[in-house]
Amino acid sequence: MRGPVTKHGLTRRDALVGVGALAAGLSGRWYPAAAASAAPITIVINQSPWFDSFRKTVELYEKQTGNKVELDVNPFAGSLEKQRNSVRASKGQYDLLIMNSGWFAEMYFGGFIEPISDIDTSFKLDPDVYTLGDTVYFDAARKIMVPTGKLMSVPIAPLIPIVYYRGDLYKEAGLKAPETFAELEANARKFHKPPGRYGIVQRGARGPASVSFDFYPYLYGFGGGIFKNQAAGDYSVTLNNEAGLTALQYYLRMAKEAGHPQTASLDQAEVIQNMATGKAVHIMAVVSAWSQMDDPDKSAVIDKVEFAPTPHAPGFSTASGLGHWLGGIARNIPDDRKRGAFEFLKWFQTRDAQIANAKFGGIPINAASYRDPISQERKFRWMKPLAESLQHAVSVYQFPEASEVIAILELGLNQAVARNVEAAPALNDMADKIHGVMTKYGYQTAKLPALR
Amino acid sequence: MDGSVSASAPMAATPKPGRTDASYGAPDDAVWRWVTLSPALLMMLLLSVLPLANLFLSSFYTVSWAEGRAVWMPAGLANYAALARDDLLQAGVTNTLIFAVFAVGGQMLLGFVLALLCVRVTSGRVLYRTVFILPILIPGIVVGAMWKLLLNFDFGLVNQLVGLAGFDPVNWLGARETALASVIMVDIWHWTPFCFLLFLAGLESLPQDIYEATKIDGATIWQELIYVTLPMMLPTIVVTFAFRLILAFKVFDEVYLLTSGGPGTATEVLSFTLYQRFFREDKTGYGAAMSMSIIFLVCILLIFALSARRRAGTAP
Repeated sequence: MRGPVTKHGLTRRDALVGVGALAAGLSGRWYPAAAASAAPITIVINQSPWFDSFRKTVELYEKQTGNKVELDVNPFAGSLEKQRNSVRASKGQYDLLIMNSGWFAEMYFGGFIEPISDIDTSFKLDPDVYTLGDTVYFDAARKIMVPTGKLMSVPIAPLIPIVYYRGDLYKEAGLKAPETFAELEANARKFHKPPGRYGIVQRGARGPASVSFDFYPYLYGFGGGIFKNQAAGDYSVTLNNEAGLTALQYYLRMAKEAGHPQTASLDQAEVIQNMATGKAVHIMAVVSAWSQMDDPDKSAVIDKVEFAPTPHAPGFSTASGLGHWLGGIARNIPDDRKRGAFEFLKWFQTRDAQIANAKFGGIPINAASYRDPISQERKFRWMKPLAESLQHAVSVYQFPEASEVIAILELGLNQAVARNVEAAPALNDMADKIHGVMTKYGYQTAKLPALR
Repeated sequence: MDGSVSASAPMAATPKPGRTDASYGAPDDAVWRWVTLSPALLMMLLLSVLPLANLFLSSFYTVSWAEGRAVWMPAGLANYAALARDDLLQAGVTNTLIFAVFAVGGQMLLGFVLALLCVRVTSGRVLYRTVFILPILIPGIVVGAMWKLLLNFDFGLVNQLVGLAGFDPVNWLGARETALASVIMVDIWHWTPFCFLLFLAGLESLPQDIYEATKIDGATIWQELIYVTLPMMLPTIVVTFAFRLILAFKVFDEVYLLTSGGPGTATEVLSFTLYQRFFREDKTGYGAAMSMSIIFLVCILLIFALSARRRAGTAP
């Protein structure tokens, strides 16, 4: 699509190319012509622990290519609202949408995202890029996320929770990193000395995606799940099976007997704060908080925190719920801006960009970064457990009404943590409500007999 | 009409209340009234009625999205029927009523007592008024941040004071027993100055000769309060109560910032439920039905307040 023509007979793109070339000439450097031709873009993104590293990576992109990127930074819920407003208008304000695992399906199903493979038919995702439960693909006809569908997005942050634990205390006690839930419980109890030190600090608050996100590693690590088989279109609710019950009972027991007394009101920031101030011996948090642990301005436990995959029950593997972020290009923007957003994503997914991203404190999306020598450095000691965990990460939601299910889990789990409701009735109630949502929207669903 | 009065127009120079437009020389006909009123009516239609009408119509649909476009499906009264089955909404209604009664009650009582104490203070007026009105000048987001820090379980100032007094720390925002009370306390702190200012203005405007008469009659301070001050302050009290009650039903920021409605539904309030359903879950039609119901509820309150105001003898 040709953009508006100026009175000098130049398109906006021509003018930008000229300005870019002039800037390059004036600065005494020469940038690749193709990259310099990309239109300025605006990225809408949320303020997360990993945002600072993303901003620095974007600045590196601007420096290397001469292309301009504007960042519109928002709180978690605010970012979603801005994205909805933009994609539902006839002309979009934002070019690149940084979408969370809780809402990217809404964008795919609603037809708001331009498939990357439609912008550049020759583009192939770097084989080392994590596809995160194949959530970067979408088969619009079958309404499922499979590699045979079109490439819709590029991962931006492969966030999953991993275990942060106090390596110094473990070393003193002669312990090894917890692999199973039984080991985690025994170790948490051993170090639990409230109010000065808590065996584990969990994220039990009710929010947009707080306590539910904290609970997924327990649920899936015990072999449970919310639905029977989403990829096959079977949305039978399995939350209230025996594995789910064991998982929730374990989660509540840890909160009550080895956890923080205020678990029901602790959100991500408070959980990380407890670890950084030395009050928590274990937390399960997104890996992006790693840089805060060794930051002298923020941490009282510098070089004392170690990392491990989330635990699992015997016979199962570590299984964190994906809380990842994907970059998708809006459909309702001019072609030159789609191309500009595409150029950024194409650059961002490369090994070199991702190593730079890691050095800035970010979490690489390219597996080659985890094989790079930097992964052996003490500073990047989280890379090995993360790479191991990513292979088993679970894509929890693959349908657009996910926010309704998350809201049910947030309330039900928070009530259970606040000890108003026992595990079995809490699970039964949540399962009933989730079944109601899936029935209302016409999904193939069923429910289990109530737990006693 | 420029309002100027000429010596040759004595009737216009001494207008009486209730005079017709014709008395001022303007044509007294329906056309003229409609012509002059229409800009204001049009503005009201655009700014108030149209958005409400749109909200009302939306409440009879469910909205989904496909191919980048909205798909509107008629839902009849289903959205309204679903309100009765919404557990979150029921908790929101209950908590909002509790919140409104205790927060407004506390603000009215404290505001009135403070105003009574301050009305006779003559020195340092500027200082105490500045100090007292400070909380209402602070943006809601700052109030949330301040109290989140003060009530923090681990390092909050309130729990440090509790510890100094020899008690265990209290889980102010995280326990079902204390969360709503904590939010009410913050709201009382935030909005008591509003009541204080209105009451102070009311007390200062009361006629002093009546007080002088009560002193001559030998009335005690208590009798003066019960038989003189309160009856004369009733119109101000009713108006302040109405204002605060309606605002209390709209509380959102304190709940959103301090507890997000939790733990469980302990601090769920109507506005937060609406935010959850309309914005987070993107239920446009259902959210519109909930909005219309809340507007209806606030209208009932408004009618109640206006009628109370009329009974108190303050109707225009």
